[in-house]
Amino acid sequence: MMDDVAVVSGGPLEPDPVIEAYKKDIDRTLLRENLKRSVEERLRDLMRLQRFADEWRQAAQRTFR
Amino acid sequence: MIDIETALRVLSSAGVEFIVVGGVAARAHGSARLTNDLDVVYRRTPDNIGRLATALAPHSPYLRGAPPGLPFRWDADTIRRGLNFTLTTGLGDIDFLGEITGGGGYDALVTRSKPIAVFGVEVRCLDLDCLIEVKRAAGRPRDLEAIAELEALREERERFNKS
Repeated sequence: MMDDVAVVSGGPLEPDPVIEAYKKDIDRTLLRENLKRSVEERLRDLMRLQRFADEWRQAAQRTFR
Repeated sequence: MIDIETALRVLSSAGVEFIVVGGVAARAHGSARLTNDLDVVYRRTPDNIGRLATALAPHSPYLRGAPPGLPFRWDADTIRRGLNFTLTTGLGDIDFLGEITGGGGYDALVTRSKPIAVFGVEVRCLDLDCLIEVKRAAGRPRDLEAIAELEALREERERFNKS
């Protein structure tokens, strides 16, 4: 069972240089805005974004088929 | 696309013991990334497996990506014989995971999760530190950017809580 080999430690992980490099490109303004919202608002935003992405995908399929 | 609100209500009102993990959990913490499915770790006790089977059955669960017409039956016996199920349902795509890489199963993860009140129900969500740990443990190159965002989110949250 994977439970026996779980590596979840709760301790801090060493910084990974690759992840640190990616971190420079993260748009933190979005994160700061999200932190001001409730969990429910964050998930409702996600559902709105999913609907938009879905409509966009369908429109692209109709246009380029 | 996944109807997160209905999915969480369906599972919670049926008394299913589960923990939200993956992209939706990240989003609940404040991530800005788009995810199209709901990942949950469910408790693999006989009672909970029965509740999960009953709760999801009305929502036409089927193996995602499998050709139509396969003799797939969503019931307690199927769940007991399997472990991780990537499903398409009437509510959207949902992954029901018995275990996750680097994290284990429900009992190992429950102490690393917190109850959150959302959509009128209370559900458990993996904490941010643990989300980062399991994503790093999975070691998938496509997760690197997501891990970087989660680590940036943790730093921003610390600043936000201090201010």
